Amino acid sequence: MNGWLAAAAALMALGVAPVLWYAATGPLRRRVAAQNTGTLLVCLVLLLLARGYDRPPYTDIALVVALLGPVGTLVYARLLGPEMGDDPQQGPRATVFAVLATAAVLLPLCLAESPGRSLIKLLVIGALLVGGNIVSSKALAGARPEEADDRG
Amino acid sequence: MADLLIALALLLVAAAATAAVAVREPARQALALSLLGLTLTLLFTVLQAPDVALSQLAVGSALTPLLVLLSVRKARRRSLDRVRAEQQAEERP
Repeated sequence: MNGWLAAAAALMALGVAPVLWYAATGPLRRRVAAQNTGTLLVCLVLLLLARGYDRPPYTDIALVVALLGPVGTLVYARLLGPEMGDDPQQGPRATVFAVLATAAVLLPLCLAESPGRSLIKLLVIGALLVGGNIVSSKALAGARPEEADDRG
Repeated sequence: MADLLIALALLLVAAAATAAVAVREPARQALALSLLGLTLTLLFTVLQAPDVALSQLAVGSALTPLLVLLSVRKARRRSLDRVRAEQQAEERP
């Protein structure tokens, strides 16, 4: 029984599954926010799996997710902006949850890691996740209908 | 433990695929598709195939939804242009 794998399984069942539900129902802005949270949760699960299987190269997949996730959300905010202009704004709850979840997963991982390149990689992934989530939630909140631009 | 993880990942993939089929509007479907790509990435990682997971990540969660969104945008703009041209044609005579 491996604690890291158990944590990954718990995060999959209790984190990714609700995100799937939120991304498939409700107003469009909430769906995009759920997709953004989904990329973050998948990245954290991948980090836990890499540690649990004791295969450091698996961290690279998490790094790619951390890079692609916020970029994808920015693209959605740009292309779907005209459609979700009237949707209710999301509160800061998603961002707070993202920062707390990242800290809760990355702190034990960093403590278990010996100092070196892999520790720096973990810290870079954490910074990418938190920074990317803040940037993309701001872009999501600022997405407005752009009639003039859309006609161009 | 490994079996539990594989079962969980399979369940998530099944749920995401069902969602991608059940959502009818193409722009919303793109969001469900990208989540399907992410869950497939999880499944491949759990099955110890990180290289497949990486390519699935690039194609499934980034490229496919972007292509869907861009084509939806182009199709909508074209139909808007057609509606406008018809309106102008009606106004002129």
